[in-house]
Amino acid sequence: MNTEASAQQLSYIENQASDARVNIELETEGMTLNLGPQHPATHGTLRIIVRLDGEQVVSAEPVMGYMHRGYEKLTEVRTYPQVTTLVNRIDWLGSFANEVPFILAAERLMEVEAPARAQWIRTALFELSRIANVVLFLGDMAVQLGATTPVFYAFRDREFVLNQIESVTGGRFHPNFDRIGGVKDDLPKGWIQETKDVLVRINSFCEEMEDLVVGNEIFQTRTRGIGIIPADTGLAYGLSGANIRSSGVDWDLRRDGGVGLIHDQLDWKVWTHPDGDSFARYWVRLQEVRESCKMVGQILDGIPSGPIMAKVPRIIKVPPGEAYVETENPLGIMGYYIISKGDLVPYRVKIRSASFNNVSITPWVLKGVYVPDVISILASLYFILGDIDR
Amino acid sequence: MGLVENGKLPGPLTTLLNISRKYSLWVYQWGLACCAIEMGAAFASPRYDVMRLGVIPFPASPRQADLVVISGTVTDKMAPAVRRLYEQMPEPKYVISMGSCANCGGPYWDSYSVTKGVDQIIPVDVYVPGCPPRPEALLEGIVLLQERIASEDMTDRWNRDPIVVT
Amino acid sequence: MSSPDTNAEEIVEESTEPQEELIVDDKREAFVDSITQDLGSSFIDSHIDPEIDVWIRVTQEAWSETAKILFEKHGMNFFNFLSAIDWKPSPFGREMDAAIDNLDDEVTVETEMEWGVAGGEKRFQMLARVHNPATDMGVNVKADLEGDFPEVDTWTLVYPGANWHEREVMEMFGISFKNHPNMVNLYLPTEFEGHPLRKDFPLLSRRAKPWPGIVDVELMPGESDDETEESGEET
Ligand code: SF4
Repeated sequence: MNTEASAQQLSYIENQASDARVNIELETEGMTLNLGPQHPATHGTLRIIVRLDGEQVVSAEPVMGYMHRGYEKLTEVRTYPQVTTLVNRIDWLGSFANEVPFILAAERLMEVEAPARAQWIRTALFELSRIANVVLFLGDMAVQLGATTPVFYAFRDREFVLNQIESVTGGRFHPNFDRIGGVKDDLPKGWIQETKDVLVRINSFCEEMEDLVVGNEIFQTRTRGIGIIPADTGLAYGLSGANIRSSGVDWDLRRDGGVGLIHDQLDWKVWTHPDGDSFARYWVRLQEVRESCKMVGQILDGIPSGPIMAKVPRIIKVPPGEAYVETENPLGIMGYYIISKGDLVPYRVKIRSASFNNVSITPWVLKGVYVPDVISILASLYFILGDIDR
Repeated sequence: MGLVENGKLPGPLTTLLNISRKYSLWVYQWGLACCAIEMGAAFASPRYDVMRLGVIPFPASPRQADLVVISGTVTDKMAPAVRRLYEQMPEPKYVISMGSCANCGGPYWDSYSVTKGVDQIIPVDVYVPGCPPRPEALLEGIVLLQERIASEDMTDRWNRDPIVVT
Repeated sequence: MSSPDTNAEEIVEESTEPQEELIVDDKREAFVDSITQDLGSSFIDSHIDPEIDVWIRVTQEAWSETAKILFEKHGMNFFNFLSAIDWKPSPFGREMDAAIDNLDDEVTVETEMEWGVAGGEKRFQMLARVHNPATDMGVNVKADLEGDFPEVDTWTLVYPGANWHEREVMEMFGISFKNHPNMVNLYLPTEFEGHPLRKDFPLLSRRAKPWPGIVDVELMPGESDDETEESGEET
């Protein structure tokens, strides 16, 4: 953590200490506040029970399960191709990205490898779904802090990305496009040029957000120095993705542990931020969208020709074994631990979803903050309920 | 509105009331899962813009709402909250069930924790199928509901079949 | 300067080429060696997928100590996940699948337990994974658990992130954790009966309404088969 951040943290702690004294003088009583399960300021149905002392949070405990749909059990009774349909719906903003680690794990067990073109198409869609996901975050975080316009911009520009995903896969949301051994279809005609136009749009959206939100003084005062997560704590809680990179950990699976995708053949950069506060998390995600645009641009220019499907049997039976594959999804690290017994259906699938770990830090990070900061911290941690509850 | 509910209002007045109700539907967004994002796209995005239909998606509480869109998976743990929300809404009230999950359980038809259809807990007026339904489908559901409201007679309101968007 | 170097590399490459199947993963071998020494008799088994992954299996008593050793000595400071496996074959066999899916074999109910990599002895097995971002090496840890409602030490003292994972394991498998700060249900309502991820937990909806099975197997792109005529209608 750099000096500025630690100074900010110190002054924040000081303020809190003095506030605690005020609380004692005012003889405030403890109060329990129930945020959710349906609350405009929480995405989806997360419920948080906060115990307050005056304006300060004494303890916070998320209550989950309002969206628990039993994925891990259902995967035991679905065949492998059916599982991809199901896991699409875990992180519903970047659906395609959910399929990729599952397919890669199954491919590792079956010892097949997708042809080069399929891998490039996969990576392009992977990054497009990241854009579709994070763009909404960029607008949504601003809404939660009181600025309504950015979310309209986000929805406006996201539509164009969804259009591109739809014209390849046929689904705006839940494409179910990835297959063991390749992808279902080739790119449609004219797609490459259209996508380039969309990327220009997204880039200008990022510029807009930079001016409108990041440069905004109110936004800065509400996020800078709020909800600081030190790198060690973040790692021990299993924080991943942009949340941990904004605490200064330079770790991105796309670059470091890449399997199956072709990120290592592209020219891009991993952004980190030393502060670890809400502002840093917003800023890192903003830069990630730009990097994704860059990557998609390079993929469109360099995509090789060739087959899009390896030779796999019609009825997929996966040989016995265990494999764990994780990828850097829009929300963080997502992985599937597949145990196969040589059947049509997996014996057990453990889904390691990013938001579950990202949110498990909330009791720690919300301790001692003020009520309005609860919203900004939760928004900046960026979770999706399906990804927490599964 | 007691007279309306008893069906004792003269015809022209009913028509007038129906038209006004039709174009000022306050809708409470009960976003539960993936479908909530498509609902958000229909309600908050400039491309679909539900307000041109006379639907206002910003009530602060269910007590001000005429219509609720249940969009997404209802789990057994969530079901009591859905029920309570419905009971808080003032009459006359309408329910749109959006997405396969809310209609019948959808992809989780065999799950141990999902309620197979929100119609097991509250009456539903419009079913919008799809996983997720496109925003256009939701808009069509709303338009069909408005048509029904325009010609509604309070006395046989509960005897009708629900609308199914196809 | 460079030419002798490249020559040397080429020679090395040539010499390794014939024995490509025997990739030796020094990093993971060294890790397994050192953790064997640290754990002593608590260490049971290990398995290495060269260049990919490593599994170790420890005793139930050493479960929390393993976490400490991994965290302190091996720099595994990133907590990935913690879960469990039920190795008992489902008493329903493939009964809950559609008949159409049982392609070649009759519905047989297996009763023998078979374990995966790194072996096993008992019905329940803990499965956890931690990662070292600096060396980019993750390790899967397994431990056999005694009994039908086992109890094992918590990991939360080392990895606070394990808190929710352990609550999940508790309600899904019925495995409880000693010294856990808040051992209550995470997802399911408190009155829920049973442990869904156990293999003998039935999905009742499947009993009431049989699964239709694989009704349409889609053609792979570029694959020509007898059914191409049918799929041709789509275009
Ligand atoms: S119907 Fe489909 S898209 Fe809608 S909530 Fe259910 S799974 Fe998600």
